[in-house]
Amino acid sequence: MKILLKAFLLTAPINFVYAAEGQKSAGLPQMDIATFPSQLFWLVITFSLLYLFMWKFVIPRLGATIEERRDKISNDINDADNLNTEATDILKKYDEQMASASQESNEIITNSKKAMLDHLETLKKENEEKVNSLISESQAKIKAQEEKSKIEIRNATLDTVKAIVSRYIENIPSDEEINKKLN
Amino acid sequence: MAADNPIDPIHQFEISKIADIRLGGIDISFTNSSLFMVFALAATMALFVIGLSKKSIIPNRMQMLSELSYNFIANMLRDQVGDQGRAYFPFIFSLFMFIFFCNFIGLIPYTFTVTSHLIVTFAFAGLIFIAVTIIGFVKNGLGYLRIFYPSGIPIFLAPLIVPIEIISYLSKPISLSVRLCANMLAGHSILKIFAGFIVMLGFLGFAPLVFLVVLYALETLIAALQAYIFTILTCIYLNDALHPDH
Repeated sequence: MKILLKAFLLTAPINFVYAAEGQKSAGLPQMDIATFPSQLFWLVITFSLLYLFMWKFVIPRLGATIEERRDKISNDINDADNLNTEATDILKKYDEQMASASQESNEIITNSKKAMLDHLETLKKENEEKVNSLISESQAKIKAQEEKSKIEIRNATLDTVKAIVSRYIENIPSDEEINKKLN
Repeated sequence: MAADNPIDPIHQFEISKIADIRLGGIDISFTNSSLFMVFALAATMALFVIGLSKKSIIPNRMQMLSELSYNFIANMLRDQVGDQGRAYFPFIFSLFMFIFFCNFIGLIPYTFTVTSHLIVTFAFAGLIFIAVTIIGFVKNGLGYLRIFYPSGIPIFLAPLIVPIEIISYLSKPISLSVRLCANMLAGHSILKIFAGFIVMLGFLGFAPLVFLVVLYALETLIAALQAYIFTILTCIYLNDALHPDH
């Protein structure tokens, strides 16, 4: 700052002198009325050209481009919104279908379980009946065999007794007598 | 001639003839000032011609720049004036671009700053003042005179308020033009003076050089800011003309 101040003090008077010498009688160039018509004339020409250029060329084209972009963006946003709604609908439908499908499959599972159990039950019953009938049949067979054996044994006994008795005595006892004795 | 002195800060504002043209005794020579007006015009045209050469949905840099300036001014006009301002958009947009490029081209060393001349800024401000006044009376009739007597002011204050309002209204073009011109004039003079210090101090010149760099950044800001201020004040005046009740 000290240097700057020194520089300013050194140069200011010189500067002032030069500036004073440089000035024309009209003072600042800004105050030279002789230049005004020329400046105004060329200002009108250049600015009018610029205005025409802006008015007829730049603004319509830029405006159209910006408008077009805005439209495109809003269209794209609309499209995206529509697609989003569509996707949401599809997702909803999918969820619904999934729910109904799972319900259906649950029903199928329950039904088939039930059917299987029923089938098992009937099979069991059938088999039980079969087994029971087989058992009773076998029991009856056994009983009949027993009876038969008993009769055979009795007959054999009778025959044996008759044979033994006939050896020793002439008189052969009747079956009833032997039966009576055996009992 | 002192005008040839490298550190004369006023030299840069001098107008020199390039082609001597006279029309009915009036000197309308093509000067360095005219040349830089043409440069500003050319720069604006270049920006938009290049920017609009490929109109695409996804803009490239130049298109981005032109659309940015378009939106900047369009938003400014919409915020300040509303939808009624649309008709004046070409003028406001041209005004901003012209002043902006004049200010910026003037920052390049050895160039001329068109907007540093009061007559140029006053031509704009005067045109705006006259146009705004005509628009005000056309749109509102004599009701436009209400701007000199804001609503809600007690009647006994009217003799005081109305003259103040009239003076402030009439001083609008002066303040508008002097603000821009003085900013350019002062800024460029200071830049030139400090540039002169660098030359004069020789080895010690780095100190004003650093200062000059900072100052140059500031002047760049001011160049944009003054174009913005000039444009936004035009919008505000236009809004006053269209809605004098506010």
